[in-house]
Amino acid sequence: MSGASIEFRRVSKAFGDRRVLREVSLEIRAGETCVLLGPSGCGKTTLLRLVNRLEEADSGEVLFAGREVARWDPVALRRRIGYAIQSVGLFPHLPVRANVELVPRLLGWTRERRRARAIEMLRLVGLDPEDVGRRKPHQLSGGQRQRVGVARALAADPEALLLDEPFGAVDPIARGRLQSEFRSLSRRLGMTVLFVTHDVREAFRLADRIAVVAEGVIQQVAPPAKLRSAPASGIVEALVRGAETEPAP
Amino acid sequence: MSLSEFLVQRWPEIVELSLEHIGLVLVSIGLAVALAVPLGFAVTRIPWLARPVLGFSGVVQTVPSLALFGLLLPLPLIGGLGNRTAILALVLYALLPILRNTVTGVRSVDPAILDAADGMGMTDWQRLTLVEAPLALPTIFAGIRIATVVGVGLVTIAAAVGAGGLGSFIFRGLAMLDTRLLLVGAIPSALLALAADGLLAVAERRLAAATGTG
Repeated sequence: MSGASIEFRRVSKAFGDRRVLREVSLEIRAGETCVLLGPSGCGKTTLLRLVNRLEEADSGEVLFAGREVARWDPVALRRRIGYAIQSVGLFPHLPVRANVELVPRLLGWTRERRRARAIEMLRLVGLDPEDVGRRKPHQLSGGQRQRVGVARALAADPEALLLDEPFGAVDPIARGRLQSEFRSLSRRLGMTVLFVTHDVREAFRLADRIAVVAEGVIQQVAPPAKLRSAPASGIVEALVRGAETEPAP
Repeated sequence: MSLSEFLVQRWPEIVELSLEHIGLVLVSIGLAVALAVPLGFAVTRIPWLARPVLGFSGVVQTVPSLALFGLLLPLPLIGGLGNRTAILALVLYALLPILRNTVTGVRSVDPAILDAADGMGMTDWQRLTLVEAPLALPTIFAGIRIATVVGVGLVTIAAAVGAGGLGSFIFRGLAMLDTRLLLVGAIPSALLALAADGLLAVAERRLAAATGTG
């Protein structure tokens, strides 16, 4: 299945008195990987959660596949969008494989098709489907759990993926490998990816375009190379320079 | 006649009343579970239900058991001497621990898990049946365990309204000032409570292990 476009049009959102997003506009093309990069609390996670309606915008519009998300049935919308978060939220009472099979199960796939897909997805994220697949989530390391989270998000051929720091708990070496595998995978599948991170290095590795978010506003949207050569503001420049002075892993 | 001889002599009656006792507990706890668990789930879905439902079952708890049996006696249809009044009172007493634990169990599910459930497109019903209910099960079971142990004790008092069970021995013993009769009722009842507690504790631990929450 190919990707669907995502678009934000002058979206604002406040939690109480705190305005987290101020008239944000951003267009993510079908099949593109766009990374939302910014410090914690800048509003990037909220932006992500507006797409699958875990949050509702106060004003402005969010579009998925050209249609306003407010006009989608939330359940139908969410089943077409893979979603993985840093804290993963695996279901502790189900074995890993059943966790990965869940969205296909909700969609009514046959048992054989589900099973085959779960095995395929676990292999894809570098986990042994026979061994790890039978275990319960609490028997896995933090990094393994996050990989299962990504496998679960991928399982039902989503048109778009929403990922919020999905590799945060993976150790640096495995993370690098996972990032490059993920990059080739999302390209191959042609999925639209919206990826939230505060890790500049990760953003540069994965993104077709990076949207730098700070103080509830998008500072700049550009391909990684352009962000480096022509930062639009002091905030962007400081962020990018920070990454270059970081020691290599 | 020593207590042991007395025990042997009364053995058939002890067995019969014990079985009756267990039957009363099973029926009333069963009814309470059938009522309190769905009601607890409803409370987690419909916020305004929490106050009246938990409030009512809390107030029932504060009524002394003998008084509750007395209050129910004169009621038409449900009242009167016998099983029905006793079972109704026992169900009312068992409501609170099961209800409260059901609500607590559902409410204490990790928010990240609920976020994942919503994010993958579960309907509210799917979220309840596939995620919240299984994860709340050990806590619900702990409530059933409390209700059962309390229930075993309460059934002895239910003999006052003619429900039968081991309480019959106790009330007869009190009336005839016969300590042996008292003990023949009280000891098996205490043993039953301990056995129920032990069995349900094991089941609760297994559930917790199975749901990965233990």
